[in-house]
Amino acid sequence: MRVLVIEDDEELAETVAAGLRSARMAVDVALDGTAGLSRARVNDYDVILVDRDLPGLHGDKVCAELVGSGCRSRVLMLTAAASTANLIEGLGLGADDYLGKPFDFGELVARVVALARRAHPSVPPQLSHGDVTVDTAQRRASRGGRSLELAPKEFGVLELLLASQGRCVSAEELLARVWDEEADPFTHTVKITISRLRAKLGDPPVIETVAKYGYRI
Amino acid sequence: MQLTALYALVLSASGAAVLGITIVLVFGFRATSVQSITGAVRSNQFSRDFVAITIGGAIALAIVAVASVWVAWLLAGRVLSPLRSITLVARDISATSLDRRLALDGPDDELKELGDTFDGLLGRLDASFSAQRQFVANASHELRTPLARLKTLTQVALSDPSADAASLRTAHERVLASEQQLEQLIDALLTLAEGEQASGRRAHLDLGNVAARVLDGRTAEIEGSGLRLDASLEPTAATGDPRLVERLLDNLVDNAIRHNEHRGWIQVSTRGGAVSVANGGAPISAEELEQIKQPFSRGAGERPGRADGYGLGLSIVQAIAAAHGAVISVSAPGDGGLRVEVQFPPDSPRAESGD
Repeated sequence: MRVLVIEDDEELAETVAAGLRSARMAVDVALDGTAGLSRARVNDYDVILVDRDLPGLHGDKVCAELVGSGCRSRVLMLTAAASTANLIEGLGLGADDYLGKPFDFGELVARVVALARRAHPSVPPQLSHGDVTVDTAQRRASRGGRSLELAPKEFGVLELLLASQGRCVSAEELLARVWDEEADPFTHTVKITISRLRAKLGDPPVIETVAKYGYRI
Repeated sequence: MQLTALYALVLSASGAAVLGITIVLVFGFRATSVQSITGAVRSNQFSRDFVAITIGGAIALAIVAVASVWVAWLLAGRVLSPLRSITLVARDISATSLDRRLALDGPDDELKELGDTFDGLLGRLDASFSAQRQFVANASHELRTPLARLKTLTQVALSDPSADAASLRTAHERVLASEQQLEQLIDALLTLAEGEQASGRRAHLDLGNVAARVLDGRTAEIEGSGLRLDASLEPTAATGDPRLVERLLDNLVDNAIRHNEHRGWIQVSTRGGAVSVANGGAPISAEELEQIKQPFSRGAGERPGRADGYGLGLSIVQAIAAAHGAVISVSAPGDGGLRVEVQFPPDSPRAESGD
């Protein structure tokens, strides 16, 4: 799961990012609307958090731009203006959800996860294949009832493969949707993560390698 | 009631006067045409006429008096009705319905003037209450992001499964830093509220001195940001609240530091009852300039990493200037940056000595 946070208060942006990362998400941060829009054009995000009061390009315009350009990311508006009238206005601009500040962080995570489920063809919150289960809301994975200790990227890969429901996912797509900007595209990071994940999943093997293309479950 | 009685009295008195004068005149003529008044009084025809007219007159007067009370009541009602409507409206108006007006029509007389004056008063009160409500709404809006910061910091730190003393300590330190900024924000908001009320205190100031003090306090920050300072401070007198004027200057300098470019410049000068603060930086469009002049706005080009630019600075400057009757002019030179000049009114001799 990959999220973009567009918020001009740097301290708040970084804190939200850190919190989302500890919920096993890949997070990029943009400190103003223009930077946010250019990031959204280049990368594929599941959810974009937009602060309404941005200097320069206002959050409303950013949202309108994202929605108008057919971006498939879901938009969650964060704002200090939290009256019902503002909420109606925000949703009317094309935002998929709207949260007033100060917000409960647990609620933010839950809403982001719920939005991400809808970013693709609709995906249920509990993903499973055989005896492997991933709870996307609780951010936990288990096999045969036994809880799996997965690193954030391993969790992300497993989540994406299960959500793809048998579709073959290329390494590039994994890199784009599970890693953040910090990732170096030229390393073997995806391969390494897959092999670690396989080791933790154990027998019988669940992840199938499709030669020259990618992986699937 | 009073007016009715007055009118009734006046009408009746007029009636009585008419009657009395008529009797005197008529019978006075009659009397002079007879040898003596006593003789006239003794004449039967004279006395009968006199009695007839007096009784008739008295009855007429009684009728007129009664009628006059009724007419007086009607007249008084018509005259007083504007006053009555003023009373009714005034009774109804409260802080939440200050948009009502009397809007009396009718002749341009004292009553209309009273109604219009009352409307003027309501207008001023309405504007004042609206400004206060707007301020409170803006302030609460401004406070929410810093609060979100505190809440998120704390919640994320608490929900971290690998939280240890070190990570919690770091989180607390960041919370403290955010709290500090929140304090500054509240302080700024209070100054803005204070500045918007008419400031009572007036003392003689030397703007040059005040500017020098402010710049002293900001030296470290100016040098730390690599900015070049050009200060030409002439002694120049003005009248005002010393603390607020210092706050005004401090905000101007703070803005100049914050909205500057790397290795930019700041110029501060005091002369002829005015202080001007200019800084170099990115060019500002006419649209942005208008935005900057709005309260609580933030211009584009905030230096990244300085999240404490709440945009209140210029609002505070405007509020304090307005309270002092000073005139602000803001301009954006073509080659970039911003120039703000504040012209104070001439020094008033009645102020206390201060500064």
